[in-house]
Amino acid sequence: MAVTKLAYYPGCPSGTHAIEQDISTKALFEKLGIELVEVEDWNCCGAVEIEDPHLVYALNARNLAIAEKDNLDIATPCSICFYNLERTNRALREDKDLSAKIRGIDPALDYKGTIRARHTLDVIVNEVGLDEISKKVVKKVPLKVAPYYGCYIGRPSEIGFDDPDNPDSMDRLIELIGGEVVPFSQMKTKCCGGPLMMTKGDLAFEMTKKILEAAKAKGADCIVTACPLCHMLLDAKQPDIEEKYSIKIEMPVLYISQLLGLALGIDPKKLGLDKNIVSTKEIERKVI
Amino acid sequence: MAIKTWELDPKFKYEIAATPGGEEIMKCFQCSTCTIGCPVTEIVPSYNPRRIIQMSLLGMKKEVLESDEIWLCAICQTCSERCPQDVKISDLMGAIRRIAEKEAEEGKIEVKSVRPIFDKAFANQLRKYGRLYEMGLSLEYYRKAHKGLISGLMAMQKDYSKLGMRLFKHGKMGPRSMLPEKIKRTDEVKKIFEKMGE
Ligand code: SF4
Ligand code: SF4
Repeated sequence: MAVTKLAYYPGCPSGTHAIEQDISTKALFEKLGIELVEVEDWNCCGAVEIEDPHLVYALNARNLAIAEKDNLDIATPCSICFYNLERTNRALREDKDLSAKIRGIDPALDYKGTIRARHTLDVIVNEVGLDEISKKVVKKVPLKVAPYYGCYIGRPSEIGFDDPDNPDSMDRLIELIGGEVVPFSQMKTKCCGGPLMMTKGDLAFEMTKKILEAAKAKGADCIVTACPLCHMLLDAKQPDIEEKYSIKIEMPVLYISQLLGLALGIDPKKLGLDKNIVSTKEIERKVI
Repeated sequence: MAIKTWELDPKFKYEIAATPGGEEIMKCFQCSTCTIGCPVTEIVPSYNPRRIIQMSLLGMKKEVLESDEIWLCAICQTCSERCPQDVKISDLMGAIRRIAEKEAEEGKIEVKSVRPIFDKAFANQLRKYGRLYEMGLSLEYYRKAHKGLISGLMAMQKDYSKLGMRLFKHGKMGPRSMLPEKIKRTDEVKKIFEKMGE
């Protein structure tokens, strides 16, 4: 295992609704022996709301340049932040004129293109690797799990780190820790509607409902995800979806860092499991 | 709807192609792969990205920019991934939306969707604080989308009181989310918006 230290980009929801993702990611990486150094004074990546790609590139040139100063690859647990950081990385390497233009704005944007931007899930599966993780597994997680990948983990494929149609990085982790992956390939990468949540809520609810119902129909004990926006809709908004459609789902939704953390024997409190909206008590009980 | 040929704007496609994200529009050969796999079309059958591209190529500028459809795209990249012509529809839709926002600001067209208000409010938080301040975003968005502070607060209360309680109970809406988390060197971010912002 080569990586021992990474620049950590928490992303804006890390202090609010995705606090359990931030906590569990940190606890997990400590256990894996990788030091996370928070990117000093990082700024928002632009999420999906900043639509001008050049503006996104300039915003993230600043983040990348800060990490580059420490000569560290940058890693984030958020799929959207990952997408924005990595597409910036590519665009600035490929387009010299654009890169010069952005550099000209301020010395803080003087990014030379020497580091990689990665999703923490990619680091876990492809850098640390399953062999190394299996040595650290101390508990069995005999659960039926629906792995939900959402959009940017595999799409677009020139940026994503997993297969665009049938990603399996979380599947492999689930099986490694004694879980069973429910048949979920139809839903794995279908958009949850996150970017429409505030402006077209009904549509976003419909989209998320399909994912929740599919997981339920397949008999999953829980869903795992690797993105705070997906998690917001699947977990925090689940009671609203239940109310709107008069249905019962009651499906716990864990971050993959939480589920893996349980298998590595990390205390549920240190994984922020008390912060998930749909209770995870049943899940914790089944871990042996 | 019959096409009013005399109202077509043949320059529209070049305008899109000159907008970052819209560069590949002319490559589209109308195969419909994008529409077939779109998760929004699955729910709203009238949403048809292929047709939006066709209308744009024909120069139906006003119809495209004033349509509700362009605001329904969830930017999920499914279409971009599958398009045999590498049109990058996901980004292309963003380019069309930005043209619509600009034209609406100049009073040339009318946009009914509240999405531009949301995007603008988001950018404003970012410009001011360097990070997303969710409370500030919600306040600005609801105030503008509902045309007034009182009606905005009422709508926000209706949409968010239950969610807010839920987040609060689980320790996700503490004092940290009430106040903005401001980065140290906001001047650098302001400069980015000044030099790169459209
Ligand atoms: S998939 Fe590509 S080529 Fe086919 S209609 Fe859509 S944009 Fe055009
Ligand atoms: S990016 Fe937009 S148009 Fe393309 S598949 Fe997703 S929702 Fe549909």
